[in-house]
Amino acid sequence: MKDLYLIYKNLTRKKLRLFLTSFAIFIAFLIFGAVTALQGALNSGVEMSADNRLVVVHKVNFTQSLPYSYVNKVKSIDGVDKVTHSNWFGGYFQEPANQVVTFAVDPDTYFDVFEELVLPPEQMASWQQNRASILVGERLARANDWAVGDRIPLSSNIFTNKDGTITWDFEIAGIFNGETEQVDTGYAVFHYKYFMETQTWGGDYVGWMILTTSDPSINEQVGKAIDASFANSQAETDTSTEKAFNKAFIEQVGNIGLIIFGVVFMAFFTILVVVGNTMILAIRERTSEIAMLKTLGFTSARIFRMVLAESCLLSFIGGLLGLGAAYLLLQGVSQQLARFLPNLVLDSSIVLQGLFYMLVLGLITGIVPAVRALRLNIITAFAKG
Amino acid sequence: MTSMLSQSWVVIVMNLRSLPRRIWMSLAMVLASAVVVAILLAFLAMARGFEATLEGAGSDDIAFMLRQGSAAELNSSIVKEQVDLLETAPGVMSDGDGPLVSPELYVIVDGIKKTTQTEANIPLRGIHPQGIKLRNSFQLVQGRMFTEGTDELIVGEGILREFDGFELGEEVRFGKYSWKVVGVFSTGGNVFESELWADARVIQSLYNRGSSYQSVRMKLSSPEQLAQVQAFVESEPRLNQDTQSEAEYFSQQGQSLSYMALFGRIISSIMALGALAGALNTMYTSVSDRATEIATLRAIGFSHMSAFIGTMVEAMTLATIGGIVGSIAAFLLFDGINASTLGGSFTQVVFKFELTPDLFKQGAYLALIIGFFSGVFPAWRAARVPVMTAFQNAR
Repeated sequence: MKDLYLIYKNLTRKKLRLFLTSFAIFIAFLIFGAVTALQGALNSGVEMSADNRLVVVHKVNFTQSLPYSYVNKVKSIDGVDKVTHSNWFGGYFQEPANQVVTFAVDPDTYFDVFEELVLPPEQMASWQQNRASILVGERLARANDWAVGDRIPLSSNIFTNKDGTITWDFEIAGIFNGETEQVDTGYAVFHYKYFMETQTWGGDYVGWMILTTSDPSINEQVGKAIDASFANSQAETDTSTEKAFNKAFIEQVGNIGLIIFGVVFMAFFTILVVVGNTMILAIRERTSEIAMLKTLGFTSARIFRMVLAESCLLSFIGGLLGLGAAYLLLQGVSQQLARFLPNLVLDSSIVLQGLFYMLVLGLITGIVPAVRALRLNIITAFAKG
Repeated sequence: MTSMLSQSWVVIVMNLRSLPRRIWMSLAMVLASAVVVAILLAFLAMARGFEATLEGAGSDDIAFMLRQGSAAELNSSIVKEQVDLLETAPGVMSDGDGPLVSPELYVIVDGIKKTTQTEANIPLRGIHPQGIKLRNSFQLVQGRMFTEGTDELIVGEGILREFDGFELGEEVRFGKYSWKVVGVFSTGGNVFESELWADARVIQSLYNRGSSYQSVRMKLSSPEQLAQVQAFVESEPRLNQDTQSEAEYFSQQGQSLSYMALFGRIISSIMALGALAGALNTMYTSVSDRATEIATLRAIGFSHMSAFIGTMVEAMTLATIGGIVGSIAAFLLFDGINASTLGGSFTQVVFKFELTPDLFKQGAYLALIIGFFSGVFPAWRAARVPVMTAFQNAR
């Protein structure tokens, strides 16, 4: 108990320095929390992908389409469980800048393949029955303030409606949600057949196919079988796991992401070095006091523990406040950024990482002066002081 | 006045010469200032490089047309009949080979990125010889032009830098068809260098595009003609294009990374606050370290002002050294490094980080701001130290 009082007194002896040091640590961890969450949000597509889902795209590039007949061919390949397909609509709401991610999908199979998406059965039924209706993801609906039953005009930046406009009117039949918070629900889906019949180019093609295999262990084998069956055709395919596909897509954003996060983490560690240096010096100043404590009969081990506890305490005060502020900040902006970055959350793994760095900072900055205190010879200390 | 100057000078020299005594604290402050400046410069250099690559591509006297609402070449489509109509628009220039109008196609193909060895989107542009005349800075740096009607293509220098397998003479395969690289071109560092170019008609037939195109560029006799072309497109019911100048189109596309500059400024301002806290610690330590000296000087008649100025100069010096170190580090680490990212057209834009002099100026301001604020409060304290207490505390 006395030790705690001493630690408290030591910490608060120079209030200004205590404030400045904890503030610097606070800033470091605020940035750490916010930027790590941002990075996690960018990579969330990779983490959320199912193990047994494969994506089949045109070999030239995924923006090229595949013949519709491929869907049935893929269905008949061994090891393929369920198949569905999707077309990019290029949707926007009122203004081209207000992009709405929209896919034209097969209403009967889409939600079988994406099992993590849930919606009330009656909404599902009403969507499946009404060809001109649309299902909207929960996050997208929230961002635009849409509710079930609303009529929304969606324009396409690619396709033209047969009525001569570039806009389709949809009725919102339902709002789908994710099983967990990390599932992306920032998009909308409508009927593939309706899309093909109402757009001027018409035709029988799908953008890409998504399928599940009966077991993740046969993924590679199934992928090869699919690609082999379309080899040397007009449209060769390229099959990869959903994870690999999402990862490749994120890597398109490229090394700039890597550079940014690298730079920010470098900065995080430098601030810690700067702060650590101050903390070490602050304790070093007290050499003669420590000698005094030893003279009074404090054991070396006890002083060692006290010094270490003081630096850890300081590190945790600033660090926890910083992480807390990062959490509040993310809560505040995630509403606004929901459209671009659906999964901006400070999850437990980030908190654990943060706690780990706080502990490391506390230990490293404490260990140097603590060892000095441990070894301190009372006589030389007083002689110097 | 002169006595104050000479007093201050003495204090400044004394402070600076006693720096080695506080070497670790001083280094910490230099480091803090350096990192903040380096981070700011890294973000600004990235945004600047990206903007320069896109904005350098557009001309004011080229009208650029996309299907209404399309926003990018990839999404747009324009049929042959519309192209023929557009050629009759007022103010379009012509040369010996006909009107300087370039209908173009934009197909996305996959290339393997050197850095990650993963597939990334590259634009394959279908173009006619008239279109090449619309790129002023176009220059073949290796090989020759593609021959019309063949499966030959030329590659931009940016593609060559960032992607594998596009060297002169290589065969490249996109799905079923293979192409032969017969030339390498430069367009002065702008975004066109991140593209592959081939004959528009060959692409129409290989990619089932019929006779349709995706964008149209046309050379105008002057930038003022643009309004007339827009009016012409409006009044013609068979046309549904959005018309803007090419410069405008690319500057819009260039803005997609402007959030980077904003993000960089926000991050570095927050970091600057953290660094400032560290720097303030340094300067307060410096003042308390020199308490006896300051008190002595004051006792023998030095002014408050000289103590203030001495501390101020020490802080500014440390922050400036940090700023210089940070700028040099940013320059060595970031200037000219190649980067690529997804641009507005959903394809890779290859660009270089650019550290221009005006960016260094912004870095310098930041360092000076840190120096000023970390100096002013401790300097105030130094000037205010009551002589007696200082002597007592120094014991």
